[in-house]
Amino acid sequence: MQPCLGELQHLLYRLITATSGVEEGLAAETNLPSQGITALVRGEARVSAIDRVEIYANMYFYRLLDAIKEDFPATLRVVGEANFHNLVTGYLTDYPPGDPSITEASRHLAEFTRNSSALEKWPFIADLIQLERAILEVFLGPDARPLAAEAMRVIPAAQWPSLLITVHPALQVINSEWRVDEILRALESGQPLAQPKHERRGILVWRNDYSVNYRPLDDLERRALSMIRFGYPFGAMCEAVAIHRGDSVTPAQISRMITRWLTDGLLVRAGQR
Amino acid sequence: MNRLDFPYLGFGVGLRRPHFGHVLSEHPGVDWFEVVTENFMVKGGRPLQVLEKVREDYPIVLHGVSMSLGSIDPLNTLYLSRLRDLARRFEPAWISDHLCWTGVGGKNLHDLLPLPYTEEAVTWVARRIRQVQERIERPILIENVSSYMSFVHSTMTEWEFLSAVAEEADCGILLDINNVYVSAFNHGFEPERYIESVPASRVMQYHLAGHSDHDAYLLDTHDHPVCPAVWSLYERAARRFGPVSALIEWDDNIPEFATLEVTSNEARERYKSAVQKSIGGEALCNPA
Repeated sequence: MQPCLGELQHLLYRLITATSGVEEGLAAETNLPSQGITALVRGEARVSAIDRVEIYANMYFYRLLDAIKEDFPATLRVVGEANFHNLVTGYLTDYPPGDPSITEASRHLAEFTRNSSALEKWPFIADLIQLERAILEVFLGPDARPLAAEAMRVIPAAQWPSLLITVHPALQVINSEWRVDEILRALESGQPLAQPKHERRGILVWRNDYSVNYRPLDDLERRALSMIRFGYPFGAMCEAVAIHRGDSVTPAQISRMITRWLTDGLLVRAGQR
Repeated sequence: MNRLDFPYLGFGVGLRRPHFGHVLSEHPGVDWFEVVTENFMVKGGRPLQVLEKVREDYPIVLHGVSMSLGSIDPLNTLYLSRLRDLARRFEPAWISDHLCWTGVGGKNLHDLLPLPYTEEAVTWVARRIRQVQERIERPILIENVSSYMSFVHSTMTEWEFLSAVAEEADCGILLDINNVYVSAFNHGFEPERYIESVPASRVMQYHLAGHSDHDAYLLDTHDHPVCPAVWSLYERAARRFGPVSALIEWDDNIPEFATLEVTSNEARERYKSAVQKSIGGEALCNPA
């Protein structure tokens, strides 16, 4: 049998990614010659043709598993090696990678996990995966020069209301139903991991001087950041936040919030309206 | 392809994330660095910042793992555009990738799969390499892969296939000496014949790495020191090809940078010694 290049590659792809292994993958093939895979792949007593394809099947799975493990240390720690292995097995079946970068292979892991049985035992796990994925994306996100506090100070006060600022392009805000940021914090500080509290919160993930940080956002900050993202001038954002919260928000509070953002490198100057 | 498009760089090391800090602070005495292209095809962040700083002090080479030159899928034009942009930004001495396919049907196996050694495959891959070279505006090197399977309908040896593709595509060869050794063991051919058969005028770079022994087969794991048999093949290559830029690869169980530096220096010393022996004490060149 002399398959054309395309037939050969599609066949090998199916065998290498067959969920139950190469042998079962072969059994599902209907167009193979009577000699089976040995009509295509050379084999001998030392290593059979099937074993040779199996080497690639193992490398495919374990290379991806290792790469994903490295990017999701907290998830791995919570569910353990065996459950992580099973989670990734199911994930790769539903979401086989297509991007040239292996980093992209885990892009849909949180989405997959929301419909997986892992959620029964660890109801917060998809949110934790989402946070770990956001950390990876922020680490590799676009660069921009943050607006420094000193630069803000030299802008005449009269220009502040019409000042256009935007958030750093690598910054992300994720929605979580659980306080999963506390799990990550515990892992980083060597503390024992406990199930997080069930509490809806936004978690800010940002990069400052190439290191990635994260923290929960309160409602005030969250609203203000989203207004800036939507292009509100600085003055309009401050007014809208103050009006929305009524008497509970003082100018000093807004000032402290802005100072913190500047210190953290969250803002980028976009221009003047 | 003009040999002058590929300057002699000396003895280098693959730049990996655990060594970023050391390389930036210590400026180690290696001649050049090779980086995995896809690790730097990112929007921003520390990897690009590190590469910019490294590039200020060293020549670099971009070495890809996902061009999928042998796939029957259309070439990924977005990937090639990003590669061209990366090359314009960092001005690598050259760009290389593998003589293999990495996926089909829009999916990526993230592995380097061998092709059948047939005229059909030679024509197909050579045409694609020419297209890539036009798209990224420079000649490339293609690397021989370690392989664990070969195909019944192949009509030529691996070195004949590599040579035919390089000639027809008019590109250079990145000869991975460890891959020659691994594939020779796995498929039962003489690695020396491989070294003696590839076209000397096209070999522009070597890879040297370690592998793991699984009794029935060898696996190209890049997690061990270079073994004596691979060093011996390297010396043979040095005698045949003269000054060719050499690179130490280490991707798993990555040791301290000093170990890589020592290995790079060993490659330098072995090169000198091999060449001196072959021409009676007078070196073909004098690698710094």
